[in-house]
Amino acid sequence: MNMESKNEATLLDIRFHGRGGQGAVSAAALLALAAFDDGFEAQAFPRFGSERRGAPLEAYVRISNTAIRAHNQVYTPDAVVIQDASLLRSEPLLRGLKSGGLIVLNSEQPPDGFSEEGDGFRWLCLPASLIGERHLGRPLPNTVLLGALASATGWVSLSALEQAVTSHLERKGEEMVKANIAALREGYQFVAQEEEVAS
Amino acid sequence: MKKLLEGSQAVAEAVRLCRPQVVAAYPITPQTHIIERLAQHVADGELAAEFINAESEFGAASIVLGAVAAGARAFTATASQGLLLMTEVLYNIAGMRLPVVMVCANRAVGAPINIFSDHQDSMALRDAGWIQIYVESNQEAADSLIQAYRIAEVCELPVMVCMDGFFLTHTFEPVDLPSQAMVDGYLPAFRFARTLDPTQPMTLGGGSEADNYQEFRVAQHHTMENAQTVIEAFDADFGEQFGRTYGGLVQDYRLAGADTVLLGLGSLMGAVRDVVDRLRDQGQAVGALRLRCFRPFPAQALIEQLRAAQRIIVLEKAFSAGAGGIVAIELRAALQQAGITTTVDSVIGGLGGRDLTPEVIEAIIRGAKPDEHEATCRFAPDHIAPDNINSGEASHG
Repeated sequence: MNMESKNEATLLDIRFHGRGGQGAVSAAALLALAAFDDGFEAQAFPRFGSERRGAPLEAYVRISNTAIRAHNQVYTPDAVVIQDASLLRSEPLLRGLKSGGLIVLNSEQPPDGFSEEGDGFRWLCLPASLIGERHLGRPLPNTVLLGALASATGWVSLSALEQAVTSHLERKGEEMVKANIAALREGYQFVAQEEEVAS
Repeated sequence: MKKLLEGSQAVAEAVRLCRPQVVAAYPITPQTHIIERLAQHVADGELAAEFINAESEFGAASIVLGAVAAGARAFTATASQGLLLMTEVLYNIAGMRLPVVMVCANRAVGAPINIFSDHQDSMALRDAGWIQIYVESNQEAADSLIQAYRIAEVCELPVMVCMDGFFLTHTFEPVDLPSQAMVDGYLPAFRFARTLDPTQPMTLGGGSEADNYQEFRVAQHHTMENAQTVIEAFDADFGEQFGRTYGGLVQDYRLAGADTVLLGLGSLMGAVRDVVDRLRDQGQAVGALRLRCFRPFPAQALIEQLRAAQRIIVLEKAFSAGAGGIVAIELRAALQQAGITTTVDSVIGGLGGRDLTPEVIEAIIRGAKPDEHEATCRFAPDHIAPDNINSGEASHG
Protein backbone atom coordinates (compact mmCIF):
# COMPACT_ATOMS: atom_id res chain seq x y z
CA MET A 1 0.00 0.00 0.00
CA ASN A 2 1.61 3.26 -1.02
CA MET A 3 0.55 6.69 0.04
CA GLU A 4 -1.33 7.44 -3.21
CA SER A 5 -3.81 4.70 -2.43
CA LYS A 6 -4.75 6.44 0.81
CA ASN A 7 -7.67 8.09 -0.92
CA GLU A 8 -9.58 4.88 -1.46
CA ALA A 9 -10.64 2.60 1.36
CA THR A 10 -7.99 -0.07 1.77
CA LEU A 11 -7.78 -2.78 4.38
CA LEU A 12 -4.90 -5.21 4.58
CA ASP A 13 -4.98 -8.33 6.75
CA ILE A 14 -1.78 -10.12 7.68
CA ARG A 15 -1.53 -13.34 9.67
CA PHE A 16 1.63 -14.51 11.43
CA HIS A 17 2.26 -18.16 12.25
CA GLY A 18 4.93 -19.19 14.68
CA ARG A 19 5.63 -21.31 17.71
CA GLY A 20 5.48 -20.04 21.27
CA GLY A 21 8.82 -18.31 21.96
CA GLN A 22 9.59 -17.41 18.33
CA GLY A 23 8.11 -13.95 18.67
CA ALA A 24 5.09 -13.98 16.34
CA VAL A 25 3.30 -11.69 18.77
CA SER A 26 6.16 -9.18 18.75
CA ALA A 27 6.41 -9.39 14.96
CA ALA A 28 2.73 -8.49 14.61
CA ALA A 29 3.12 -5.62 17.06
CA LEU A 30 6.19 -4.29 15.20
CA LEU A 31 4.41 -4.38 11.85
CA ALA A 32 1.39 -2.53 13.28
CA LEU A 33 3.62 0.04 14.98
CA ALA A 34 5.41 0.69 11.68
CA ALA A 35 2.15 1.02 9.72
CA PHE A 36 0.83 3.42 12.34
CA ASP A 37 4.04 5.41 12.14
CA ASP A 38 3.55 5.57 8.36
CA GLY A 39 0.20 7.26 8.94
CA PHE A 40 -2.22 4.35 8.72
CA GLU A 41 -4.70 2.97 11.19
CA ALA A 42 -3.38 -0.31 12.54
CA GLN A 43 -4.32 -3.12 14.87
CA ALA A 44 -2.37 -6.15 16.09
CA PHE A 45 -3.27 -8.96 18.42
CA PRO A 46 -2.31 -12.54 19.20
CA ARG A 47 -4.33 -15.66 19.45
CA PHE A 48 -2.68 -17.68 22.16
CA GLY A 49 -3.34 -21.09 23.38
CA SER A 50 -2.50 -21.23 27.05
CA GLU A 51 1.09 -20.03 26.75
CA ARG A 52 3.40 -22.92 25.94
CA ARG A 53 6.82 -22.67 24.37
CA GLY A 54 6.83 -24.45 21.01
CA ALA A 55 3.07 -24.63 20.57
CA PRO A 56 1.64 -23.21 17.32
CA LEU A 57 0.28 -19.70 17.68
CA GLU A 58 -1.11 -17.01 15.45
CA ALA A 59 -1.03 -13.24 15.53
CA TYR A 60 -2.94 -10.80 13.36
CA VAL A 61 -2.40 -7.36 11.90
CA ARG A 62 -4.85 -5.06 10.18
CA ILE A 63 -3.67 -1.99 8.29
CA SER A 64 -6.25 0.45 7.00
CA ASN A 65 -6.71 4.05 5.97
CA THR A 66 -9.99 4.23 7.87
CA ALA A 67 -10.65 3.53 11.56
CA ILE A 68 -10.63 -0.18 12.43
CA ARG A 69 -13.63 -1.05 14.60
CA ALA A 70 -13.89 -4.85 14.47
CA HIS A 71 -11.82 -6.90 16.92
CA ASN A 72 -12.19 -10.22 15.13
CA GLN A 73 -9.46 -12.62 14.13
CA VAL A 74 -8.14 -12.52 10.57
CA TYR A 75 -9.73 -15.17 8.33
CA THR A 76 -8.93 -13.95 4.81
CA PRO A 77 -5.37 -12.58 4.93
CA ASP A 78 -3.62 -10.75 2.13
CA ALA A 79 -0.37 -12.26 3.39
CA VAL A 80 0.77 -14.94 5.80
CA VAL A 81 4.18 -14.86 7.46
CA ILE A 82 5.41 -18.29 8.52
CA GLN A 83 8.23 -18.31 11.05
CA ASP A 84 8.59 -22.09 11.14
CA ALA A 85 8.20 -24.10 7.93
CA SER A 86 7.48 -27.28 9.90
CA LEU A 87 4.11 -25.79 10.81
CA LEU A 88 3.02 -26.21 7.19
CA ARG A 89 2.85 -29.93 7.81
CA SER A 90 0.56 -29.76 10.84
CA GLU A 91 -1.53 -26.60 10.48
CA PRO A 92 -3.70 -25.27 7.65
CA LEU A 93 -1.59 -22.13 7.44
CA LEU A 94 -2.83 -21.03 4.03
CA ARG A 95 -6.51 -21.16 4.94
CA GLY A 96 -8.41 -18.16 3.72
CA LEU A 97 -5.37 -16.66 1.99
CA LYS A 98 -6.65 -14.45 -0.79
CA SER A 99 -5.99 -15.44 -4.37
CA GLY A 100 -2.63 -13.96 -5.35
CA GLY A 101 -1.79 -13.63 -1.67
CA LEU A 102 1.76 -13.50 -0.39
CA ILE A 103 3.44 -16.21 1.69
CA VAL A 104 6.64 -15.15 3.46
CA LEU A 105 8.32 -18.37 4.54
CA ASN A 106 11.31 -18.86 6.81
CA SER A 107 12.96 -21.50 4.64
CA GLU A 108 15.18 -21.61 1.56
CA GLN A 109 12.38 -23.26 -0.34
CA PRO A 110 8.86 -24.49 0.29
CA PRO A 111 8.60 -28.05 1.61
CA ASP A 112 7.70 -30.81 -0.89
CA GLY A 113 4.12 -30.65 -1.97
CA PHE A 114 3.83 -26.90 -1.51
CA SER A 115 4.26 -24.07 -3.96
CA GLU A 116 3.00 -26.15 -6.82
CA GLU A 117 2.99 -24.54 -10.21
CA GLY A 118 -0.04 -22.29 -10.37
CA ASP A 119 -1.23 -22.50 -6.78
CA GLY A 120 -2.18 -18.88 -7.20
CA PHE A 121 0.01 -17.63 -4.37
CA ARG A 122 3.22 -15.68 -4.32
CA TRP A 123 5.93 -17.51 -2.36
CA LEU A 124 8.76 -15.56 -0.82
CA CYS A 125 11.26 -17.91 0.82
CA LEU A 126 14.34 -16.85 2.73
CA PRO A 127 16.57 -18.45 5.39
CA ALA A 128 15.51 -15.96 8.06
CA SER A 129 16.69 -18.04 11.03
CA LEU A 130 20.20 -18.30 9.57
CA ILE A 131 20.31 -14.59 8.84
CA GLY A 132 18.88 -13.83 12.27
CA GLU A 133 21.46 -16.03 13.97
CA ARG A 134 24.29 -14.19 12.27
CA HIS A 135 23.10 -10.86 13.66
CA LEU A 136 21.54 -11.87 16.96
CA GLY A 137 23.50 -14.94 18.00
CA ARG A 138 20.25 -16.89 18.15
CA PRO A 139 18.12 -18.22 15.27
CA LEU A 140 15.40 -15.57 15.59
CA PRO A 141 13.72 -14.97 12.22
CA ASN A 142 11.40 -12.12 13.22
CA THR A 143 12.95 -8.90 12.04
CA VAL A 144 14.42 -10.58 8.95
CA LEU A 145 10.94 -11.68 7.85
CA LEU A 146 9.50 -8.24 8.54
CA GLY A 147 12.18 -6.63 6.36
CA ALA A 148 11.36 -9.09 3.58
CA LEU A 149 7.62 -8.46 3.90
CA ALA A 150 8.13 -4.69 3.74
CA SER A 151 10.43 -4.97 0.75
CA ALA A 152 8.13 -7.32 -1.18
CA THR A 153 4.92 -5.37 -0.57
CA GLY A 154 5.75 -1.74 0.21
CA TRP A 155 2.97 -1.85 2.80
CA VAL A 156 5.24 -0.29 5.41
CA SER A 157 8.45 1.65 5.04
CA LEU A 158 11.84 0.38 6.17
CA SER A 159 12.37 3.55 8.20
CA ALA A 160 9.08 3.04 10.08
CA LEU A 161 10.06 -0.57 10.84
CA GLU A 162 13.43 0.62 12.13
CA GLN A 163 11.66 3.13 14.32
CA ALA A 164 9.30 0.42 15.63
CA VAL A 165 12.21 -1.92 16.42
CA THR A 166 14.02 0.90 18.20
CA SER A 167 11.10 1.86 20.42
CA HIS A 168 9.92 -1.72 21.02
CA LEU A 169 13.35 -3.03 22.05
CA GLU A 170 14.54 0.12 23.81
CA ARG A 171 14.50 -1.52 27.23
CA LYS A 172 16.67 -4.39 26.00
CA GLY A 173 19.59 -2.12 25.23
CA GLU A 174 21.35 -0.47 22.32
CA GLU A 175 23.16 -3.64 21.17
CA MET A 176 19.89 -5.53 20.79
CA VAL A 177 18.35 -2.66 18.82
CA LYS A 178 21.36 -2.41 16.50
CA ALA A 179 21.50 -6.15 15.83
CA ASN A 180 17.78 -6.31 15.05
CA ILE A 181 17.96 -3.35 12.71
CA ALA A 182 20.84 -5.03 10.88
CA ALA A 183 18.75 -8.22 10.56
CA LEU A 184 15.77 -6.18 9.39
CA ARG A 185 17.86 -4.49 6.70
CA GLU A 186 19.30 -7.78 5.49
CA GLY A 187 15.79 -9.21 5.12
CA TYR A 188 14.83 -6.09 3.19
CA GLN A 189 17.91 -6.27 0.96
CA PHE A 190 17.44 -9.99 0.33
CA VAL A 191 14.18 -9.34 -1.48
CA ALA A 192 15.40 -6.21 -3.22
CA GLN A 193 18.36 -8.15 -4.65
CA GLU A 194 16.18 -11.08 -5.74
CA GLU A 195 13.90 -8.68 -7.55
CA GLU A 196 16.88 -7.10 -9.25
CA VAL A 197 18.05 -10.50 -10.47
CA ALA A 198 14.54 -11.38 -11.64
CA SER A 199 14.26 -8.19 -13.70
CA MET B 1 -1.12 12.61 20.46
CA LYS B 2 -2.29 9.17 19.37
CA LYS B 3 -0.04 6.21 19.99
CA LEU B 4 -0.40 2.58 19.06
CA LEU B 5 -0.77 0.91 22.46
CA GLU B 6 -1.71 -2.48 23.75
CA GLY B 7 -5.02 -2.25 25.64
CA SER B 8 -3.43 -3.22 28.93
CA GLN B 9 -0.77 -0.57 28.46
CA ALA B 10 -3.34 2.11 27.62
CA VAL B 11 -5.23 1.34 30.81
CA ALA B 12 -2.05 1.24 32.89
CA GLU B 13 -1.16 4.72 31.58
CA ALA B 14 -4.66 5.96 32.41
CA VAL B 15 -4.34 4.53 35.92
CA ARG B 16 -0.98 6.27 36.34
CA LEU B 17 -2.52 9.58 35.26
CA CYS B 18 -5.15 9.16 38.00
CA ARG B 19 -2.36 9.11 40.62
CA PRO B 20 -3.36 6.08 42.72
CA GLN B 21 -1.44 5.71 45.98
CA VAL B 22 -1.91 1.96 46.30
CA VAL B 23 -1.95 -0.75 43.62
CA ALA B 24 -2.54 -4.30 44.80
CA ALA B 25 -2.82 -7.46 42.72
CA TYR B 26 -2.19 -11.17 42.63
CA PRO B 27 0.31 -11.79 39.82
CA ILE B 28 -0.82 -15.03 38.19
CA THR B 29 -3.04 -16.13 35.31
CA PRO B 30 -5.64 -14.76 35.01
CA GLN B 31 -3.80 -11.44 35.26
CA THR B 32 -3.04 -8.82 32.62
CA HIS B 33 -0.20 -6.59 31.49
CA ILE B 34 -2.04 -3.75 33.26
CA ILE B 35 -0.56 -4.82 36.56
CA GLU B 36 2.81 -5.64 35.01
CA ARG B 37 3.03 -2.12 33.56
CA LEU B 38 1.98 -0.48 36.80
CA ALA B 39 4.57 -2.48 38.73
CA GLN B 40 7.16 -1.27 36.20
CA HIS B 41 6.02 2.35 36.63
CA VAL B 42 6.35 2.09 40.41
CA ALA B 43 9.79 0.42 40.11
CA ASP B 44 10.95 3.11 37.66
CA GLY B 45 9.79 5.88 39.97
CA GLU B 46 7.17 7.08 37.47
CA LEU B 47 4.27 6.40 39.79
CA ALA B 48 4.40 7.38 43.45
CA ALA B 49 2.31 4.47 44.67
CA GLU B 50 2.82 1.52 46.91
CA PHE B 51 2.66 -1.66 44.80
CA ILE B 52 1.59 -4.64 46.87
CA ASN B 53 1.82 -8.22 45.60
CA ALA B 54 -1.02 -9.98 47.36
CA GLU B 55 -1.16 -13.65 48.32
CA SER B 56 -4.41 -14.12 46.39
CA GLU B 57 -7.13 -12.10 44.65
CA PHE B 58 -9.02 -12.22 47.93
CA GLY B 59 -6.02 -10.52 49.51
CA ALA B 60 -5.67 -7.98 46.69
CA ALA B 61 -9.30 -6.90 47.04
CA SER B 62 -8.91 -6.70 50.82
CA ILE B 63 -5.82 -4.50 50.45
CA VAL B 64 -7.57 -1.96 48.20
CA LEU B 65 -10.55 -2.03 50.58
CA GLY B 66 -8.28 -1.05 53.45
CA ALA B 67 -6.34 1.48 51.39
CA VAL B 68 -9.45 3.37 50.32
CA ALA B 69 -10.92 3.22 53.84
CA ALA B 70 -7.70 4.90 54.98
CA GLY B 71 -8.23 7.66 52.41
CA ALA B 72 -5.95 6.52 49.57
CA ARG B 73 -6.91 6.24 45.93
CA ALA B 74 -6.36 2.60 44.97
CA PHE B 75 -6.46 0.26 41.98
CA THR B 76 -6.61 -3.44 41.27
CA ALA B 77 -7.33 -5.63 38.26
CA THR B 78 -8.25 -9.24 37.75
CA ALA B 79 -10.47 -11.53 35.69
CA SER B 80 -12.25 -14.84 35.58
CA GLN B 81 -11.58 -17.12 38.58
CA GLY B 82 -9.65 -14.27 40.17
CA LEU B 83 -12.75 -12.10 40.17
CA LEU B 84 -14.82 -14.93 41.60
CA LEU B 85 -12.29 -15.39 44.40
CA MET B 86 -12.68 -11.66 45.20
CA THR B 87 -16.45 -11.97 45.43
CA GLU B 88 -16.88 -11.82 49.19
CA VAL B 89 -14.62 -8.77 49.47
CA LEU B 90 -16.28 -7.01 46.53
CA TYR B 91 -19.63 -7.19 48.33
CA ASN B 92 -17.98 -5.73 51.42
CA ILE B 93 -16.39 -2.89 49.44
CA ALA B 94 -19.78 -2.00 48.00
CA GLY B 95 -21.55 -2.34 51.34
CA MET B 96 -19.02 -0.04 53.00
CA ARG B 97 -19.59 2.34 50.08
CA LEU B 98 -15.87 2.57 49.30
CA PRO B 99 -14.94 4.20 45.98
CA VAL B 100 -12.61 1.46 44.73
CA VAL B 101 -11.92 1.33 40.99
CA MET B 102 -10.92 -1.93 39.34
CA VAL B 103 -10.60 -3.36 35.86
CA CYS B 104 -12.08 -6.72 35.03
CA ALA B 105 -10.34 -8.07 31.92
CA ASN B 106 -13.36 -10.15 30.99
CA ARG B 107 -12.64 -13.85 30.65
CA ALA B 108 -14.56 -17.11 30.84
CA VAL B 109 -14.85 -19.07 34.08
CA GLY B 110 -14.20 -22.76 34.67
CA ALA B 111 -14.96 -25.57 34.38
CA PRO B 112 -13.86 -26.52 31.77
CA ILE B 113 -10.65 -24.49 32.10
CA ASN B 114 -10.65 -21.66 29.57
CA ILE B 115 -8.58 -18.49 29.67
CA PHE B 116 -10.34 -16.67 26.84
CA SER B 117 -12.82 -13.85 26.75
CA ASP B 118 -16.50 -13.69 27.55
CA HIS B 119 -18.60 -11.83 30.12
CA GLN B 120 -19.48 -14.61 32.54
CA ASP B 121 -17.09 -13.38 35.23
CA SER B 122 -18.31 -9.80 35.72
CA MET B 123 -21.93 -10.71 35.01
CA ALA B 124 -21.77 -13.08 37.98
CA LEU B 125 -20.98 -10.03 40.13
CA ARG B 126 -23.96 -8.03 38.90
CA ASP B 127 -25.67 -8.05 42.31
CA ALA B 128 -22.57 -7.06 44.30
CA GLY B 129 -23.35 -3.34 44.34
CA TRP B 130 -20.65 -2.25 41.91
CA ILE B 131 -21.17 0.12 39.00
CA GLN B 132 -20.22 -1.81 35.85
CA ILE B 133 -19.09 -0.08 32.65
CA TYR B 134 -18.43 -2.23 29.56
CA VAL B 135 -16.12 -0.67 26.99
CA GLU B 136 -15.84 -1.18 23.24
CA SER B 137 -12.28 -0.02 22.48
CA ASN B 138 -8.98 0.61 24.19
CA GLN B 139 -9.54 4.35 23.91
CA GLU B 140 -12.80 3.95 25.76
CA ALA B 141 -11.12 1.69 28.34
CA ALA B 142 -8.55 4.37 29.16
CA ASP B 143 -11.09 7.19 29.16
CA SER B 144 -13.62 5.23 31.22
CA LEU B 145 -10.99 4.44 33.81
CA ILE B 146 -10.47 8.18 34.35
CA GLN B 147 -14.23 8.75 34.47
CA ALA B 148 -14.58 5.82 36.88
CA TYR B 149 -12.53 7.44 39.65
CA ARG B 150 -14.62 10.59 39.48
CA ILE B 151 -17.91 8.67 39.45
CA ALA B 152 -16.78 6.40 42.30
CA GLU B 153 -15.55 9.21 44.53
CA VAL B 154 -18.60 11.44 44.03
CA CYS B 155 -21.14 8.61 44.50
CA GLU B 156 -19.13 6.68 47.11
CA LEU B 157 -19.72 3.55 45.07
CA PRO B 158 -17.13 1.16 43.63
CA VAL B 159 -16.72 1.00 39.83
CA MET B 160 -15.68 -1.97 37.73
CA VAL B 161 -14.46 -1.11 34.23
CA CYS B 162 -15.08 -4.25 32.16
CA MET B 163 -12.87 -4.70 29.09
CA ASP B 164 -12.73 -7.83 26.98
CA GLY B 165 -9.73 -10.01 27.70
CA PHE B 166 -7.51 -10.53 24.62
CA PHE B 167 -9.89 -8.76 22.20
CA LEU B 168 -8.97 -5.51 23.99
CA THR B 169 -6.34 -6.22 26.65
CA HIS B 170 -3.90 -7.83 24.19
CA THR B 171 -4.73 -5.72 21.15
CA PHE B 172 -2.54 -2.90 19.90
CA GLU B 173 -4.64 -0.04 18.54
CA PRO B 174 -4.42 3.75 18.38
CA VAL B 175 -5.10 5.46 21.71
CA ASP B 176 -4.93 9.15 22.50
CA LEU B 177 -3.60 9.49 26.04
CA PRO B 178 -4.44 12.78 27.74
CA SER B 179 -1.85 14.90 29.49
CA GLN B 180 -1.42 14.86 33.26
CA ALA B 181 -2.70 18.45 33.42
CA MET B 182 -5.92 17.53 31.60
CA VAL B 183 -6.57 14.57 33.89
CA ASP B 184 -5.79 16.69 36.96
CA GLY B 185 -8.28 19.26 35.67
CA TYR B 186 -11.01 16.63 35.27
CA LEU B 187 -10.37 14.48 38.33
CA PRO B 188 -10.02 16.33 41.66
CA ALA B 189 -7.74 14.92 44.37
CA PHE B 190 -9.42 12.21 46.47
CA ARG B 191 -10.84 13.48 49.76
CA PHE B 192 -12.72 10.68 51.49
CA ALA B 193 -15.21 12.01 54.04
CA ARG B 194 -15.20 8.81 56.10
CA THR B 195 -11.44 8.19 56.22
CA LEU B 196 -10.46 5.89 59.06
CA ASP B 197 -8.41 7.91 61.52
CA PRO B 198 -7.06 6.64 64.88
CA THR B 199 -7.51 10.10 66.40
CA GLN B 200 -11.23 9.98 65.64
CA PRO B 201 -12.13 6.29 65.95
CA MET B 202 -15.06 5.06 63.87
CA THR B 203 -16.32 1.70 62.64
CA LEU B 204 -16.75 0.88 58.96
CA GLY B 205 -18.95 -2.05 57.95
CA GLY B 206 -19.65 -3.00 61.55
CA GLY B 207 -22.59 -5.04 62.84
CA SER B 208 -26.08 -4.23 61.68
CA GLU B 209 -29.15 -6.19 62.60
CA ALA B 210 -32.66 -6.60 61.32
CA ASP B 211 -33.67 -3.17 62.56
CA ASN B 212 -31.40 -1.30 60.15
CA TYR B 213 -29.54 -3.65 57.75
CA GLN B 214 -32.23 -3.20 55.13
CA GLU B 215 -31.86 0.59 55.28
CA PHE B 216 -28.22 0.24 54.27
CA ARG B 217 -29.33 -1.71 51.20
CA VAL B 218 -32.11 0.77 50.41
CA ALA B 219 -29.59 3.63 50.52
CA GLN B 220 -27.20 1.63 48.33
CA HIS B 221 -29.96 0.99 45.79
CA HIS B 222 -31.05 4.62 45.63
CA THR B 223 -27.46 5.80 45.27
CA MET B 224 -26.95 3.32 42.44
CA GLU B 225 -30.07 4.54 40.69
CA ASN B 226 -29.02 8.17 41.12
CA ALA B 227 -25.56 7.32 39.81
CA GLN B 228 -27.10 7.15 36.33
CA THR B 229 -27.25 10.94 36.12
CA VAL B 230 -23.70 11.20 37.47
CA ILE B 231 -22.36 8.73 34.89
CA GLU B 232 -24.10 10.64 32.10
CA ALA B 233 -22.94 14.04 33.38
CA PHE B 234 -19.31 12.99 33.85
CA ASP B 235 -19.18 11.39 30.40
CA ALA B 236 -20.62 14.59 28.90
CA ASP B 237 -18.10 16.69 30.86
CA PHE B 238 -15.33 14.38 29.68
CA GLY B 239 -16.54 15.04 26.14
CA GLU B 240 -16.25 18.79 26.68
CA GLN B 241 -12.76 18.57 28.15
CA PHE B 242 -11.24 15.76 26.07
CA GLY B 243 -13.39 15.72 22.92
CA ARG B 244 -14.52 12.12 23.36
CA THR B 245 -17.80 10.86 24.74
CA TYR B 246 -19.45 7.45 24.86
CA GLY B 247 -23.16 8.10 25.28
CA GLY B 248 -23.03 7.89 29.08
CA LEU B 249 -25.24 4.89 29.81
CA VAL B 250 -26.02 3.62 26.31
CA GLN B 251 -24.56 4.43 22.91
CA ASP B 252 -26.67 4.27 19.77
CA TYR B 253 -25.46 3.59 16.24
CA ARG B 254 -27.64 4.38 13.22
CA LEU B 255 -30.83 3.93 15.25
CA ALA B 256 -32.81 6.55 13.32
CA GLY B 257 -35.47 4.71 11.34
CA ALA B 258 -34.16 1.29 12.40
CA ASP B 259 -36.80 -1.47 12.53
CA THR B 260 -34.33 -4.06 13.82
CA VAL B 261 -32.02 -3.14 16.68
CA LEU B 262 -29.13 -5.29 17.88
CA LEU B 263 -28.17 -4.60 21.48
CA GLY B 264 -24.89 -5.79 22.96
CA LEU B 265 -21.94 -5.01 25.22
CA GLY B 266 -18.21 -4.57 24.84
CA SER B 267 -15.77 -5.00 21.97
CA LEU B 268 -18.08 -7.11 19.81
CA MET B 269 -19.97 -3.91 19.00
CA GLY B 270 -17.19 -2.84 16.62
CA ALA B 271 -18.04 -5.75 14.31
CA VAL B 272 -21.74 -5.01 14.86
CA ARG B 273 -21.20 -1.45 13.56
CA ASP B 274 -19.54 -2.86 10.44
CA VAL B 275 -22.48 -5.25 9.91
CA VAL B 276 -25.01 -2.44 10.43
CA ASP B 277 -23.23 -0.37 7.77
CA ARG B 278 -23.24 -3.30 5.36
CA LEU B 279 -26.93 -4.07 5.87
CA ARG B 280 -27.87 -0.39 5.66
CA ASP B 281 -26.06 -0.25 2.30
CA GLN B 282 -28.33 -3.12 1.21
CA GLY B 283 -31.37 -1.11 2.24
CA GLN B 284 -32.13 -2.90 5.51
CA ALA B 285 -33.31 -0.71 8.39
CA VAL B 286 -30.91 -2.04 11.01
CA GLY B 287 -29.33 -0.18 13.92
CA ALA B 288 -27.35 -0.96 17.06
CA LEU B 289 -27.46 0.00 20.69
CA ARG B 290 -24.53 -0.57 23.02
CA LEU B 291 -25.23 -1.10 26.70
CA ARG B 292 -22.25 0.72 28.20
CA CYS B 293 -23.44 0.86 31.78
CA PHE B 294 -24.98 -2.43 32.93
CA ARG B 295 -25.10 -1.51 36.65
CA PRO B 296 -27.01 0.59 37.45
CA PHE B 297 -29.35 -0.83 34.82
CA PRO B 298 -30.41 2.11 32.63
CA ALA B 299 -34.00 0.99 32.03
CA GLN B 300 -35.27 4.44 31.08
CA ALA B 301 -32.47 5.15 28.61
CA LEU B 302 -33.02 1.75 26.98
CA ILE B 303 -36.78 2.24 26.74
CA GLU B 304 -36.34 5.61 25.07
CA GLN B 305 -33.94 4.21 22.48
CA LEU B 306 -35.92 1.02 21.81
CA ARG B 307 -39.48 2.38 21.81
CA ALA B 308 -39.68 2.53 18.01
CA ALA B 309 -37.98 -0.80 17.29
CA GLN B 310 -40.02 -3.58 15.71
CA ARG B 311 -37.48 -6.25 16.47
CA ILE B 312 -34.92 -6.31 19.28
CA ILE B 313 -32.03 -8.77 19.34
CA VAL B 314 -29.86 -8.94 22.46
CA LEU B 315 -26.47 -10.53 21.79
CA GLU B 316 -24.55 -11.27 24.97
CA LYS B 317 -21.44 -13.20 25.99
CA ALA B 318 -22.83 -14.53 29.27
CA PHE B 319 -25.96 -16.26 30.45
CA SER B 320 -27.64 -17.72 33.46
CA ALA B 321 -27.84 -21.47 32.92
CA GLY B 322 -31.44 -22.53 33.06
CA ALA B 323 -32.75 -18.99 32.69
CA GLY B 324 -31.15 -17.46 29.56
CA GLY B 325 -29.52 -14.19 28.59
CA ILE B 326 -29.07 -11.94 31.61
CA VAL B 327 -29.40 -8.60 29.80
CA ALA B 328 -32.32 -9.91 27.76
CA ILE B 329 -34.21 -10.97 30.91
CA GLU B 330 -33.73 -7.53 32.47
CA LEU B 331 -34.62 -5.75 29.24
CA ARG B 332 -37.83 -7.77 28.84
CA ALA B 333 -38.86 -6.73 32.36
CA ALA B 334 -38.08 -3.06 31.69
CA LEU B 335 -39.98 -3.00 28.40
CA GLN B 336 -42.96 -4.74 29.93
CA GLN B 337 -43.09 -2.15 32.74
CA ALA B 338 -43.17 0.53 30.06
CA GLY B 339 -45.99 -1.20 28.20
CA ILE B 340 -43.79 -2.05 25.20
CA THR B 341 -44.69 -5.43 23.75
CA THR B 342 -41.84 -5.86 21.25
CA THR B 343 -40.42 -9.37 21.59
CA VAL B 344 -36.80 -9.56 22.74
CA ASP B 345 -34.79 -12.16 20.85
CA SER B 346 -32.08 -13.36 23.23
CA VAL B 347 -28.93 -14.71 21.59
CA ILE B 348 -25.93 -16.05 23.51
CA GLY B 349 -22.55 -16.28 21.81
CA GLY B 350 -18.85 -15.67 22.03
CA LEU B 351 -18.43 -17.92 25.06
CA GLY B 352 -14.92 -19.00 26.00
CA GLY B 353 -13.32 -16.77 23.35
CA ARG B 354 -15.36 -17.94 20.35
CA ASP B 355 -15.09 -15.20 17.79
CA LEU B 356 -18.35 -13.42 16.93
CA THR B 357 -17.44 -12.59 13.35
CA PRO B 358 -19.38 -10.19 11.11
CA GLU B 359 -20.67 -13.28 9.24
CA VAL B 360 -22.04 -14.78 12.46
CA ILE B 361 -23.60 -11.48 13.52
CA GLU B 362 -25.23 -11.11 10.12
CA ALA B 363 -26.58 -14.67 10.34
CA ILE B 364 -28.06 -13.87 13.76
CA ILE B 365 -29.84 -10.82 12.35
CA ARG B 366 -31.09 -12.77 9.33
CA GLY B 367 -31.96 -15.78 11.49
CA ALA B 368 -35.13 -17.01 13.17
CA LYS B 369 -37.59 -14.31 14.10
CA PRO B 370 -38.42 -14.43 17.79
CA ASP B 371 -42.06 -15.34 17.21
CA GLU B 372 -40.93 -18.47 15.38
CA HIS B 373 -39.49 -20.17 18.44
CA GLU B 374 -40.48 -20.70 22.00
CA ALA B 375 -37.10 -20.81 23.69
CA THR B 376 -36.03 -18.20 26.26
CA CYS B 377 -32.79 -17.82 24.35
CA ARG B 378 -30.93 -19.24 21.38
CA PHE B 379 -27.22 -19.71 20.80
CA ALA B 380 -25.17 -18.06 18.08
CA PRO B 381 -24.04 -20.30 15.22
CA ASP B 382 -20.43 -21.42 15.19
CA HIS B 383 -17.93 -19.82 12.85
CA ILE B 384 -19.26 -19.13 9.37
CA ALA B 385 -16.58 -18.92 6.70
CA PRO B 386 -16.63 -15.89 4.42
CA ASP B 387 -17.64 -16.80 0.86
CA ASN B 388 -15.31 -18.86 -1.31
CA ILE B 389 -12.29 -19.01 0.89
CA ASN B 390 -9.37 -21.33 0.49
CA SER B 391 -9.45 -24.02 3.20
CA GLY B 392 -5.65 -24.09 3.33
CA GLU B 393 -5.67 -27.87 3.20
CA ALA B 394 -6.41 -28.18 -0.52
CA SER B 395 -4.31 -30.79 -2.29
CA HIS B 396 -1.21 -30.34 -0.19
CA GLY B 397 0.14 -33.46 1.45
